Amino acid sequence: MSESNSAAMRLAWHYENPMAQALEADRAGVPVVGITSNTIPWELVHAAGFFPVMLRPELRATPAADEYMEKNVFHARIRQIFDSVVRGEWDLLRAIILPRTSEQEYKLFLYLREVARERPRDGMPPVYLYDLLHSRSPESHAYGLTRTEKLKKQLEEIAGRPIATRDLVEEVAESNAARGAVRRLLRLRHDTPRLTGTEALPLIGAYWFMARAQYAKLALEAAEILERRGTLPGVRLLVKGAPLDRVRLYAALETHGAIVVAEDDWWGTRSVGTDIDAGNDVLEAIFEHYYSEAPSPRVFPPEAADRWFQSSVTDRIDGVVFYLPLEDYVAGWDYPRHKRFLDGLGIRSLVVREDAGAGGISLEAHEGIERFVREIARKR
Amino acid sequence: MSEKQLQCTVAAGAYQKEWFAQLRRDVFESRRPYAILQADMPFEIFQVMGLPAVSNQWWSAVIAAKRLAPKYLDAMNAMGFHDGLCRYCSLSMACTMAGDPGQAPWGGLPKPALLSARLTCDCIQRVFSIWAKKFGTEFFALDNPGATELPPRWWELSRYRWRELFERHRLDFTVAQFRTLIRELERITGRKFDPDALRTLMEGVNRQEEYFEEVRELICNAPKTPVRMNEQITNVMAAQWLRGNEWAIQHAKCFRDEVKSRVDAGVAAYPAEQLRLMWVGAGLWHDTDFYTAFEQRYGAVFVWSMYLAFGPDGYIRYGLEDPLLALASRTVSMNEQLHLPPWANEWIVDQAKRHRIDGALVLTPLGTKPSAMGNRFIERALEREGIPVLPVFTDMVDPRNWNAAEMIKRVGQFIEERL
Repeated sequence: MSESNSAAMRLAWHYENPMAQALEADRAGVPVVGITSNTIPWELVHAAGFFPVMLRPELRATPAADEYMEKNVFHARIRQIFDSVVRGEWDLLRAIILPRTSEQEYKLFLYLREVARERPRDGMPPVYLYDLLHSRSPESHAYGLTRTEKLKKQLEEIAGRPIATRDLVEEVAESNAARGAVRRLLRLRHDTPRLTGTEALPLIGAYWFMARAQYAKLALEAAEILERRGTLPGVRLLVKGAPLDRVRLYAALETHGAIVVAEDDWWGTRSVGTDIDAGNDVLEAIFEHYYSEAPSPRVFPPEAADRWFQSSVTDRIDGVVFYLPLEDYVAGWDYPRHKRFLDGLGIRSLVVREDAGAGGISLEAHEGIERFVREIARKR
Repeated sequence: MSEKQLQCTVAAGAYQKEWFAQLRRDVFESRRPYAILQADMPFEIFQVMGLPAVSNQWWSAVIAAKRLAPKYLDAMNAMGFHDGLCRYCSLSMACTMAGDPGQAPWGGLPKPALLSARLTCDCIQRVFSIWAKKFGTEFFALDNPGATELPPRWWELSRYRWRELFERHRLDFTVAQFRTLIRELERITGRKFDPDALRTLMEGVNRQEEYFEEVRELICNAPKTPVRMNEQITNVMAAQWLRGNEWAIQHAKCFRDEVKSRVDAGVAAYPAEQLRLMWVGAGLWHDTDFYTAFEQRYGAVFVWSMYLAFGPDGYIRYGLEDPLLALASRTVSMNEQLHLPPWANEWIVDQAKRHRIDGALVLTPLGTKPSAMGNRFIERALEREGIPVLPVFTDMVDPRNWNAAEMIKRVGQFIEERL
């Protein structure tokens, strides 16, 4: 941050120290529940009296995962989560909830169950599957609602107390306030950019690791200071592809005169969506939000999965960077279709086939990025 | 595969070829509709609706066996699909995308009335959507709920206690999707779905799989395997794609009879059999000769693959009052049963013991990543039971990184050092 912005600094600190508040909660006697992605209803977990924390391990060697997980098959983040759980680093967790909204998380659920059976160890947190399906069909919709009711029951059993409707309504209000704060930050990136993508990702991402009321307060404070900044110049880019929770790629793009104003990724622009309308049936409203708004690799059909991207790229986007790391075997299927769509609009795009999570960006990729940005700037 | 020891193997191959030729004639000349399905789909529904169905994986294997995979996969990469994407499930699509039916096996796949797949992994919805768009036809997806209760020894529960084994909410959801699929098939075929016809077909499937079970027992109990793994696969899969129909049941019976007569006569597939090997994973379709490469030097014979063994354990369902529910139970956990912990490792160890397996080769296809998952658990479980394992890192249909000589050398070393 160029200016003094202690709120932004604190948010960024939480992003880099994702377990900090969870540890604090644990010390204060609040049980902590780990979640693995954006499709787990935070409101339900919190209403049961738990502190929900998104699991985001440090990138390092994974000896336990190497024993059980096939190399070059699971994504780095999934391997890291498995490794941390098996090695007992997260024994403070009362439970871990994984969604069915990605194949890797479903298999992580089965793997963790099996390790617990094969090598039982006191303290290993039990795992639960939230069997939310993301195909758009009346059957999947009805099924998802019943599985959300089931998740509520499971949380009540773990907590040993019922979840009252009024608690859910309060949680929705708290969570919506945090969503509003995120959206304010998003506007500061997109409409007239006042913060870079490299700065924005940690500020938004802290949403997953903090108490939402506290997050909302800090994010609004940070936004107020950032609003005083002048507009940042640069080629406006949107990043799409595999989920990315590290800023190396953004830093590389922005070094060469671009500014990442959005990403089709739940770590950033797509983290919150619209507010949950508690309305008549709050549980159904919570389900509806995670079914209809939360992105995942299993949203089907493609028309539903593409909707956000296709409308966003027409909103003042100069170019799109497709992040397809070597571990990718999903997003690559969509790339030719998206490329054709962009070509039809005259929007330039670039593919980055490198691991921008653990690894650095190669010189070759830097050169490609530099050419890409320069070319767009020249034609603007 | 060079040598065919069983007459029914020749008959199975010939029948499949003629079946496909007839399908092409029906489609092109009579405009009869047909469907392309992912291998784990409920083919039974399509059968009773009179809609012939081609398995994506079978067609992929045919392309690989004809040594055409590199050409189509290279072409797919040139279209912008990167080389880390799955190959087994997309090779058939790649063949269609290439748009040269003259070069494709047996004239290639004609335009289907429907493509359909279960959304087990995150890729298949994408592959089938692209494929359907290329054909200008519809893709019907069945979503795949996760399993949360996976009790031990599923194969002892799956025949009679399938209602509880596969979790009622998953079965009900799957049946609901079946009903929507049936409405779609009624529209395509103009026929009305008949649950009694499905029940009769399911009873036929049971008979067919009971024959396969007899074959499996014969292989387990004979001093030496009476039928090579290659021939097991040809006979079983030709019938499985048409499971429950008269030809399939009769073929399963012929297969049983021929294997039994070989056992009764003391005939072994390889009389100098010394070691019994198991192949875990999909077949190595681009080089099936590999499976017989260790007989002469080591007396090592491939005895087991999932294709025959899974028939009885995975398909038989007793208590068919509600045939759609029973079919849902056959469909809903196939991936967990064959590939994922705890079910796959536990079952494969049990199979290894029953087949008196000396060593296992486990395929980890890095070119088809979802199929590689679960393998370490299988390998660990086998090793724990004293069955040495050699992991094989290659693809089932893509030979571009396959070095047969090198792999034969590695397996030889494995046999010499560990078996």
